[in-house]
Amino acid sequence: MRQNWLEWVVLGVSLAAIAGLVGFLVVDGLTDAGRPPKPVITLQTDAAYGVSEGWILPAMATNEGDEAAEALALRATATVDGVEEESEVTIDYLPAGTDVEFSFGFSGRPEGAVTVSIVGFRLP
Amino acid sequence: MVSEAAESRSESVATTVRDLVRATGGGLLVGLPLLFTLEMWAHSFLLPSLKIVVLIGVAFVVVVGYTAVSGFRRERSWIELLIDSVETMGIAAVVATVALLLLGRVGLETGLRDAVGKIALEMIPVAFGVSLAGTQLASPEDDPEDAADQGSTVADGNGAGTFARLFIAAGAALLFALNIAPTEEPMLLGVEAAWWLLLLVIPATLAVTFAVVFYADFRGGRSLESGDGPLDRPLTETLAAYAVSLLVSLLLLWSFGRTDGASWSAIVGQTIMLAVVASFGAAVGRLLIGGGGQQQEAS
Repeated sequence: MRQNWLEWVVLGVSLAAIAGLVGFLVVDGLTDAGRPPKPVITLQTDAAYGVSEGWILPAMATNEGDEAAEALALRATATVDGVEEESEVTIDYLPAGTDVEFSFGFSGRPEGAVTVSIVGFRLP
Repeated sequence: MVSEAAESRSESVATTVRDLVRATGGGLLVGLPLLFTLEMWAHSFLLPSLKIVVLIGVAFVVVVGYTAVSGFRRERSWIELLIDSVETMGIAAVVATVALLLLGRVGLETGLRDAVGKIALEMIPVAFGVSLAGTQLASPEDDPEDAADQGSTVADGNGAGTFARLFIAAGAALLFALNIAPTEEPMLLGVEAAWWLLLLVIPATLAVTFAVVFYADFRGGRSLESGDGPLDRPLTETLAAYAVSLLVSLLLLWSFGRTDGASWSAIVGQTIMLAVVASFGAAVGRLLIGGGGQQQEAS
């Protein structure tokens, strides 16, 4: 029926690929607790850098929930030259378990801590 | 003797390699548009896992159907048909994975569930392409006997039988409308259309598909003569193919979550608009297969 070793390899790889994909999705579907999106933002202060327009603060968003967040709006607040400043970023999609890299921008290097708050998001 | 056996074995490996290349080509031909579609990437994590499993199951049934008609290999027994279909899905999974990696849609930063969802969704159109690679891309010269056999399961005598034709119509409608279904456009068109516009779209769709199959004199087109069965008349066949296209459209809209929480009028509007695309696919599918008898006479 199978004419040569290559056909056996194709069949083996195919069975493994399908079993892997379907198996993963079934297990994920059955164990999915349906937890709502839980965005977690990590500021990468060490990687911050200056540009002529101000200060760029890289950050990473992850989602520790089970559902994706859509149009996730984030706001960072910091003090620059004694004045409180806000920076807003919207992330189109934040799927569960996926890291999204983005950056906040300020007019200059912030003094003290930068605080991040979640403005809101849509459920898909 | 030994060297002869080794020679024929390496020849058969070469044949397998060629089959695989052909399968990959067919898969990419159908799959590439959707590999480049943003909504397909997003649906990988917007759709629940178990729904993706259901979609793969439906796709497998469709692949068995396509493979029965063509297939990238030409064996016909039931067990071979199933094995070929499994391999079709497997090849599609590998092709989709490599393509998503090269396109940068799946990478180290991608969550496992997200990556698996993307591969599982994108492998569906690729699998349709792989399973159709046999008839549409096979070169007739390299295996004249097989070439004559191709499509013979449905194209004996005067083209395909009524139900085989409707099955082909459904398959072609699915293949063509699948490119449009995940995008937002059918939803916008359906939701924004006034009721009278939808009432105009239905006869326009019917007129176009009727004309393409029975009047335009494309290769594979048919005369206006009626057959014996109630669905063997041009008008009834056009209506039946339209009904099939509406069903396919509704299935696709459900697949991509367009029916979730939508009002009845929104669902009806979207279905009618997507069915414009689906029924055109159904018409072209009937052209390609329905005239199998005539095509073979001509060659």
